[in-house]
Amino acid sequence: MISFVSNHKSQLKMNCQLCQEILEAYQEGKLPAGMMTQLESHLETCDSCKKLSEIQLLANRVIKLEKETDSDPFLATRVMAHIERLEDERLETSSLGVRILRPALITMSLAAAVLFGIMLGNLSRPAGNAGMVPVEFALINDASLESVDFLSLE
Amino acid sequence: MNENELIKLILQGESDKFRIFVEKYRQMVFRTCMGFVHNKEDADDLTQEVFIQAYRSLPDFKMKSAFSTWLYRIAVNASLNKVRRSGRISFIDRIESLFGSDSPGAGQLFDTDDPENIIIKKEHSQWLQRALDSLPEKQRTAIVLSKYDDLSQKEIAEIMKTSEGAVEALLHRAKKNLREKLSGRIPKKNK
Repeated sequence: MISFVSNHKSQLKMNCQLCQEILEAYQEGKLPAGMMTQLESHLETCDSCKKLSEIQLLANRVIKLEKETDSDPFLATRVMAHIERLEDERLETSSLGVRILRPALITMSLAAAVLFGIMLGNLSRPAGNAGMVPVEFALINDASLESVDFLSLE
Repeated sequence: MNENELIKLILQGESDKFRIFVEKYRQMVFRTCMGFVHNKEDADDLTQEVFIQAYRSLPDFKMKSAFSTWLYRIAVNASLNKVRRSGRISFIDRIESLFGSDSPGAGQLFDTDDPENIIIKKEHSQWLQRALDSLPEKQRTAIVLSKYDDLSQKEIAEIMKTSEGAVEALLHRAKKNLREKLSGRIPKKNK
């Protein structure tokens, strides 16, 4: 806009539309001197443009006031306290998992130890004819052996 | 130590280093939030929310843009969400916070002591904020980043993930809309 105004200032005739277009540049002091004089004389004669100019000035002051408002000086402390709580919650959640998993792991390792002991015990037993009847037993004639029934008769 | 190295340290567990970012950018984020909500308390709460959200999203930060650009995006999104949630913010509350007797900046706004003049000007500034709030979201974002944060069109384009030309057009339309809304307040000339 400013470059447009600079390039065409000789051909531009001040009217309300142009005045409103360049008001912002005028208020920021960015208008060429000739244009500024034209605009100022237009503002003196045109009530609506003058009021718009006042409202725009006021708008800029409202924005300036809001921009200059300071944020809470304790904001960093508040944010960091919140983050610390977040981290604590995160740690608590992960430690909750450990609390549940630990007994299960202990039980499983005990069971594994018992199983391992049994397997180890079985390995140390003498190998061979465990559970088999020796051949000699078939040759024993037990018909001649005294019956033990009479002992129970008494 | 640059910002990306700092972020790596935070991600490795040194969360207290995040304070450096909060201290550095708190006023920047606050200004942006203020441009949307126009109320100190709301802007403070929103700024806190923005930093907590940034901390939570830090693992997603790809370091392709500057940290400040990423933070601006979070601030703009959080502000727009807040405005959407709360609908039309109470202008009475807003003006009270701006011009209330206990407001530190109230006296700075007007040069005049004339009560009638003050009331008229209060009405105008109330109307200005309403005009700002009525802009479409993209125009409003562009104008807040331009007027409140004094960012260049290039920086705004990066934050809004659009072209500089698009930002220029948005700003032009926003200013035109504002001007039309403000002109609507001025009584027509008697012919």
